[in-house]
Amino acid sequence: MQSALDPAGGDAWDLYWLTIVMTVGATVIFIFVTALLLYAIFAPPESRAWLGTRRTIVYGGLAFPIVTLSLLLPYGLVVMRNTDVPQAGALQIEAVGEQYWWRVRYPAEGEQGEFSTANELVVPIGRPIAVTVTSFDVIHSFWIPNFGGKIDMIPGRINTFNFTADRPGIYRGVCAEFCGAQHARMAFDVMALEPAAFEAWRRAQAQPAREPATPFLERGRQLFRSGGCGSCHVVRGTDADGRVGPDLTHVGSRRTIGAGQFPNNIGTLAGWIANVQHIKPGARMPSYGSLTGEDLRALAGYLESLK
Amino acid sequence: MSGTRTLQVLLTLGGMLAWAVQFTVVYGATSTLCARGWADATLFGLGVVPFTILTTTLAALAAAAILLVVCVRAERQSRDRPASATDRFLSHAGMLINGLSLVAILWNGVPAFILPACA
Repeated sequence: MQSALDPAGGDAWDLYWLTIVMTVGATVIFIFVTALLLYAIFAPPESRAWLGTRRTIVYGGLAFPIVTLSLLLPYGLVVMRNTDVPQAGALQIEAVGEQYWWRVRYPAEGEQGEFSTANELVVPIGRPIAVTVTSFDVIHSFWIPNFGGKIDMIPGRINTFNFTADRPGIYRGVCAEFCGAQHARMAFDVMALEPAAFEAWRRAQAQPAREPATPFLERGRQLFRSGGCGSCHVVRGTDADGRVGPDLTHVGSRRTIGAGQFPNNIGTLAGWIANVQHIKPGARMPSYGSLTGEDLRALAGYLESLK
Repeated sequence: MSGTRTLQVLLTLGGMLAWAVQFTVVYGATSTLCARGWADATLFGLGVVPFTILTTTLAALAAAAILLVVCVRAERQSRDRPASATDRFLSHAGMLINGLSLVAILWNGVPAFILPACA
């Protein structure tokens, strides 16, 4: 589960300490002022008289807030300056928010060809990452709490979010701007990998989809084709080239389906295909509830085999 | 309201007016310069945005400081000579308001020297 209180990158640490300083400081001051207030109400008049003196007002009411805010202002500004800074040599990734999922594209880099995936962001640790974000439909907000602040995804506008992952792990990103009925079911996985593991993942993702290994999976591929799935989904290496929905070339390699809703396996894939409008009403994919059990299993099995 | 009273009220609130003018100029100039792509220009070795903020801030600080001195003097005079309660209140409030305005103007100028011009 995502947590802004479990920083996994330098910027997230800066924001974490800012939060701690502000929260602890504000709590201490609040308790102190409340105690003074109760003292002013309930203490005997002679012992509380000092509260109304000029000296108390000048030190407590003027000097203290001015000094505190004069320290907090530059501190906050320095944190603001040092977070989300573009770095030279950053890995470029493009993310597009759509109702209600994430289109993710890795542009070509050196020998590495470009490819697209969905609902997952895989990054190497230790290397700066620059995610350029925009939206296809309404305003979304891209937020990985373990790595820093939110960045709005606005139609027709490109924003950039910069971060570096310090330690390997699986994190969770969410949509942080209400974008429609299924806003709460719009999440994504973030995998921070060792550089070598990242390179291996990236090379595998750029490959076309693998051929079905068994007749049963071949039947799944035929159903994918005859069912018209390819008019909305891409499976590179086949004639499926639709751009409406997520790229499914390597859908079987992803951790979750449905934008972070279910673990990815043949059962959840079949449930998704048959009943998407029940699971995520308003998603742009219709439910394919009329497939026979065997056909559904073949289709889900084919998708699961696309590692 | 007599002319003297109007002047007294202006003196009392002058620091806040200086702050308001500084605020408007700083925000307006920064937005316009950044939106028009003119922020890379320099004036006397400083970027045009920090230069504008620095000069506006110094001018506003000077204005608030002069008003503060005027109010401190008026307050002293009202102690020595018999003065009306309203006079005493206005000069006293003027001291506080102009003093706090100095702090506010200073805070308003600080980001120019920490953040990039068009952050």
